[in-house]
Amino acid sequence: QALPTRSSGSSILVSPRQKGNPVLACLRSMPWEYSDIPADYGLGLTTCALFLSLKYHRLHPEYIYTRIRNLQGRYNLRILLTMVDIPNHEDSLRELSKTALVNNVTVILCWSAAEAARYLELYKSYEHANFSAIRGQQATSYAERLVEFVTVPRSVNKADAVALVGTFGSLKNAINADPEQVAVISGWGEKKVKNWCKVVEEPFRVKT
Amino acid sequence: MSAASAPQPVKLSLPLLYQQKLFEELRKEDELVILARGLGLIRLITNLLHSYDAAGNNLIVIVNAEDRENGWIGEALAEHAAISMSPKARGLTVVNTDFTSVGAREKMYAHGGIFSITSRILVVDLLTNLLNPDTITGLIVLHADRIVATSLEAFILRIYRQKNKVGFLKAFSDNPEPFTVGFSPLATMMRNMFLRKASLWPRFHVHVAQSLEGKKKAEVIELEVPMTDAMRDIQNAIMECVEVSIHELKKGNTGLDMEDWNLDSALLKNFDVMVRRQLDPNWHRVSWKTKQIVSDLTVLRGMLQSLVALDAVSFLQHLDTIHAAHSPPPGSTRQTQSPWLFLDAAQTIFDTAKRRVYTGKQKVGPDTSVDSLRPVLEEQPKWSVLADALEEIDRDLYFEPVARDDSNGTILIMCSDTNTCRQLRDYLQTMHVKPRTERKVEEFYDPDEDRPSAAFMMRRRLRNYLKWKREFAQVSATLFAENQKALSGAVDPRIGQSKGRAPANKRRRQRGGGGIGSAPSRLDNGSIAQHFEKPGEVADLIAEIQTTEEEAGQKEDVVADPLEDMDDYYQMYEMQDLVVIHAYDGDQDEHVLEEVKPRYIIMYEPDASFIRRVEVYRSSHNDRNVRVYFLYYGGSVEEQRYLSSVRREKDAFTRLIKERASMSVVMTVDAHGIEDPQEAFLRTINTRIAGGGRLAGTAQPPRVVVDVREFRSSLPSLLHGKSMVIVPCMLTVGDYILSPNICIERKSVSDLISSFKDGRLYSQAETMFQHYKSPMLLIEFDQNKSFTLEPFADLSGSLSSVNPANAGANDLQSKLVLLTLAFPKLRIIWSSSPYETAEIFERLKAQEEEPDPIAAVRAGLDKDMKAEEQAFNTEPREMLLTVPGVTPKNVTNLILQTESVKEVANMSVEELNPIVGREAARQIHGFFNKDLIEDY
Repeated sequence: QALPTRSSGSSILVSPRQKGNPVLACLRSMPWEYSDIPADYGLGLTTCALFLSLKYHRLHPEYIYTRIRNLQGRYNLRILLTMVDIPNHEDSLRELSKTALVNNVTVILCWSAAEAARYLELYKSYEHANFSAIRGQQATSYAERLVEFVTVPRSVNKADAVALVGTFGSLKNAINADPEQVAVISGWGEKKVKNWCKVVEEPFRVKT
Repeated sequence: MSAASAPQPVKLSLPLLYQQKLFEELRKEDELVILARGLGLIRLITNLLHSYDAAGNNLIVIVNAEDRENGWIGEALAEHAAISMSPKARGLTVVNTDFTSVGAREKMYAHGGIFSITSRILVVDLLTNLLNPDTITGLIVLHADRIVATSLEAFILRIYRQKNKVGFLKAFSDNPEPFTVGFSPLATMMRNMFLRKASLWPRFHVHVAQSLEGKKKAEVIELEVPMTDAMRDIQNAIMECVEVSIHELKKGNTGLDMEDWNLDSALLKNFDVMVRRQLDPNWHRVSWKTKQIVSDLTVLRGMLQSLVALDAVSFLQHLDTIHAAHSPPPGSTRQTQSPWLFLDAAQTIFDTAKRRVYTGKQKVGPDTSVDSLRPVLEEQPKWSVLADALEEIDRDLYFEPVARDDSNGTILIMCSDTNTCRQLRDYLQTMHVKPRTERKVEEFYDPDEDRPSAAFMMRRRLRNYLKWKREFAQVSATLFAENQKALSGAVDPRIGQSKGRAPANKRRRQRGGGGIGSAPSRLDNGSIAQHFEKPGEVADLIAEIQTTEEEAGQKEDVVADPLEDMDDYYQMYEMQDLVVIHAYDGDQDEHVLEEVKPRYIIMYEPDASFIRRVEVYRSSHNDRNVRVYFLYYGGSVEEQRYLSSVRREKDAFTRLIKERASMSVVMTVDAHGIEDPQEAFLRTINTRIAGGGRLAGTAQPPRVVVDVREFRSSLPSLLHGKSMVIVPCMLTVGDYILSPNICIERKSVSDLISSFKDGRLYSQAETMFQHYKSPMLLIEFDQNKSFTLEPFADLSGSLSSVNPANAGANDLQSKLVLLTLAFPKLRIIWSSSPYETAEIFERLKAQEEEPDPIAAVRAGLDKDMKAEEQAFNTEPREMLLTVPGVTPKNVTNLILQTESVKEVANMSVEELNPIVGREAARQIHGFFNKDLIEDY
């Protein structure tokens, strides 16, 4: 019978070819339905995914090229969701890297059906998400910021950060303090003092 | 002093038999020397260097030296040159990141001499032929134990050996343990270094033993000091916490090999490092909690150390800080705490530590709220032993005047770090000052009065501590003010709790004796709350330790000695009467011994290598008698650690000797000798090329433009191994440029996580798309790390985990998804190891044009800016980025117009305003100037 194409925008579209794929059993937190699409999974208007098991790929290396060709450049983001299910994956992955460059697909690796399903769910649910999460969010409270700031130099830890401001009262005083004064704080060994003072006074620009 | 036993016309300072043997060996052939710690490796190296230096016309490069070693070598070379009056000696030139432009470096290299060059600079100079490998006379490699196949140093050695077959190559290490991990480690190491011969010099080597165990042995008196009950209790409690943490770790990470994660190995110096290393292959997969526990282990082990090192008051202060840093802000219900804080043992730690300092005295009934506190101030047991030892030395000197010998009468006290130095200095200065508060009238001479005691010092420390604690309470309150606003009204909610609630730990309190006022109460979530004394109690305590007249007469505690006073202190005294306190400092100790020439040495803490240094020192000088007092806490972690470090070194050497014995057969059969590993290497390269991957393309060899900062990773070395030409450049966009179109940003898994977090990757991707057609993100796993991103936690994600509202809040997968959605054209390369990456690069480059280095450098630069000005030091920049108000956009501006973090911190809003704008300026200024003590 005729399946309604894109009945609802909120579910993952699955090509009937995928019937029997264990990934489907793991798709639990997003709705999905069968649909006649050129890709294996339709994850939104401009996103699709092809599923590839490396085990299968090794037996039928030409399969995936046919599938990519059949997409005919229709989607903007074309995921090649690759399941690494063989131990000697190196050769296949090398080849896929090159393929990705030539054929304009993005390779995403997963190691289990559950992980594959999670990727599919994420792609679908993030369809309209904004990207602020990966544009760098900063800690909000002063305490967290402070700890983050002080622990940038190597080997300085959280307790040291608290001890530092606890001793000097403010960051400015701590930054202006002499190494000897910092060294008195319990927990601040020579190495930490050295790293801290160096970073604080180090010029931003490399002198050449 | 200088025995000119070697056939060189230079004067050496190698008086002992084993040193001379080793020196001769080194002059003759290339080899890897592994010397037991404390037997004077640096001395050997400087003598060797001097023998070359004196001849002039050499170009010798020292690889892998640390800063302080550069200092020692430089000094020693100058000294040698002066002693043997060799006119041609030129001393050491250090080349590091701080200075020297390309032109200056070229000139220096042409001039020759001995250079110590930072590996990253050296490799770039070798690749760009600024330093032609052919002109190098020889290479000296320090810390050979750190050289693995993929390291930068191995890369350097390979370039060197490929182009220069005649120059010498000598590698040194005084750390045998790393040579015993893995499969035939010694052979692998030596192959990495293109060396054929290994020379092992453990303490039990026959020449070493002969040299050190002659008639001139040092007299050693061992003093086992028992720990106090309180200390032992604390130690046991910490051990219990460690045990539980390990148990938790095992529970959370089934499927990992954790057989040797037990309490015994927890005592070892590097246990946390060991756990880290074992978890490392899976570090990107372990849960948040596991990471927390691993860092807890480090904290707990630090506590074990500070228990014996710090005095009671400082230890308590240290604990307070640790506690404050590890507990959640008050009012928070997040279960992010370290598991050990929930244990009874943790309570014992805090409880007992407090009871060592002060204790509550009950006045009326058992449950009245008015308790007064009384100082206890337990002293470290070692102090009185130290005082006794000093007294004994005094008596000794008095009754039998020193036999005429070359050593000074100086007493040298060695301890582990400068903090202990300071503590001992305080103690020795004040041990005869008595706070006479109890006895108002002194009529009789009491012999007990003259016992040295730390009472004065401890009281002073307690005063400081109480003052500190008052401030600290404010600081932590201010720090967590945001969360506390909900709880406002109550001055300190915890006090109310501790009185109101029937304490769950009543039994403990009673058993704990007078600890009523000091038992920490528990927060609602079951963890220990930090205890702040009631003002009334503290007042009592302060009154109790009020300064007495005598105390007031003492000079104030000096924290930082301004250096100009040095002369005043030291010129007035004869070396004869001095007590010198010094911290163990590796090879530097040798110089201390030589300079101080002590008659008596007190080792406040055990250190295996220092004992050897004393042996070497004693044997090197006929006429210097040394008596060593050796202090350690019986049954403590300190003792265990010492013993196990000695044992492990011995084991390591035994295994090395065994391996060498079986290995030498293989090496002698091999006719190629030294050329072999390298030729094998070249062969593999040639077969790859013969594969015909580059039929098209140009006559040029394949070329990759690599960012100089990338030389920290092993990939450039491996690409070089694939016979690609590496062009080191300062790149603004991308890490590797494979062709005019392909630009690659390399991220290791940990990099990936952090650069998602601070948004770096997003902006990097943006700029890559501005300049290149096919930008790629390379996700590179470590060779030994498991090649998967799957977390150990199960993936049966609930609906909320895929909810776009908290996108990116959780795992790496979701961030990758966001990244690909944001940049649909960004290709991702997955590589299981750097070796794989090299293969993939080769394949990607096939049929592509070669990249243009000049265009690559220009990409992303402002037109009117020169390339050099774009180079930033990463750490200060990173630091600045964490400051509120600083964004990835305005940070460049800020960096260009200011000098350092210090300068930014000291700027006013008005000064910052033109650079970053009003709002950001206000935020930045506020962040640095927030005063946690006043602003409460």
